[in-house]
Amino acid sequence: MNENNEFEPKIAAFLCTWCSYAAADLAGSSRIQYPPNIRVVRVPCTGRMDPFLIIKAFNMGADGILVSGCHPGDCHFLDGNLYARRRFVMLNEMMQYAGVEAERMNFTWCSASEGKRFAGVVEDAVENVKKVGPWQGFDGQGFSQEEGETTVEKV
Amino acid sequence: MKKYEKITEEIVEIAEKLLKENTVEKVIGFGIGIFTEEVTPIFISNPENADRLVFNSKAEMSLAKYLLNYKDQKVAIVAKPCDSRAIATYLAEDLIKRENIKVIGINGCPGIENNTACEECDIRNAVISDYTVGKKMTEEEIEAKLKDKEDKIEKMTPAERMEYFQKEFERCTRCYACREACYVCYCEQCFTEGNQPEWVGDSVKLNDNFTYHLMRAMHMAGRCVNCGACEMACPEGIDVRALAAKMCRSAEELFDYRAGIDSDQKTLLSDYDVNDTESGFME
Repeated sequence: MNENNEFEPKIAAFLCTWCSYAAADLAGSSRIQYPPNIRVVRVPCTGRMDPFLIIKAFNMGADGILVSGCHPGDCHFLDGNLYARRRFVMLNEMMQYAGVEAERMNFTWCSASEGKRFAGVVEDAVENVKKVGPWQGFDGQGFSQEEGETTVEKV
Repeated sequence: MKKYEKITEEIVEIAEKLLKENTVEKVIGFGIGIFTEEVTPIFISNPENADRLVFNSKAEMSLAKYLLNYKDQKVAIVAKPCDSRAIATYLAEDLIKRENIKVIGINGCPGIENNTACEECDIRNAVISDYTVGKKMTEEEIEAKLKDKEDKIEKMTPAERMEYFQKEFERCTRCYACREACYVCYCEQCFTEGNQPEWVGDSVKLNDNFTYHLMRAMHMAGRCVNCGACEMACPEGIDVRALAAKMCRSAEELFDYRAGIDSDQKTLLSDYDVNDTESGFME
């Protein structure tokens, strides 16, 4: 919650170190403003992303997730993101079927030169998650603010 | 039921022959337990005992998993159509050697009692087999047996779906019967047991139960053959199969992929196509 009592989501952002992490860096050094709702986890490649990481992020109280990697064909490891793409499509299908709103799961591609695009992506993701409101957890009990603060940092 | 008896006769005949000729050391099949009247897996190595093999409407367990215990032995296995798909997946994952196993495939499987997966089954003939029993079903016959069931969960809103699964998983006691019954779950150490990292707590709190079932379903993606063994094994009657069955449908819709149809195919998530769909991605 911010001062105006509006919901400020916490989004676990998994960024590929070779592109999106650099894009976030570029956005920062170019002084492009974007919402401070993301908590960045730097991963060596989106292909390293175990879908469990995303499920666990939700288990621990993240309101939404953002995964951003290199554009298909531009992977530093040639095909890591292509493997990841299938995994994310399947995970997304399953999570939606289990009742997690589609708006909470944000997947995209962002190259190292797209600082501006990265800022846009974060804005979109935050807007998406704001639409569906706070995440109540798999048990529907919700997370208290302080608890959420610490758990998301642990993720 | 005549069908089951005929299949049993044929299985016994083939098993006896295989053991007598020493083609295999063991036959894995269904039999009646010594102390109970229930169907249990039995392992036969003496041809005189071959007549203990049966097949009836209670032969619910998937025997394919036992093949992993006899990797270096020559064994024969009685396989329902779903089990034969499981064996095909094992072959695709390079876990067992084709030359070591003899598959006694059941064609025209009459189905298993109370197994809802059988109503959705559109295979009904063994996909791989060295010996077949029963009568091969034609496509029209399979079509006629398919019950056109609409998925009630698919039509719900996200909040209703969440509520549905919460109600289901609330009853879970984390006995892991679904895991033990499943042929996909052969890992030596399950993600639920590790603590570096601890993926999911082992309490029976709804939060952890839900997470466990989601994670298990994610491991099923592109490997589950929708045999229904997990659901049959669940002592609480939880709709365990729903998530995995959804994965089967999605894999077919989005990637035109079905697990265990071919023993040479790569599994869904160990392969990619440059033109794969990006359904659900941000604009």
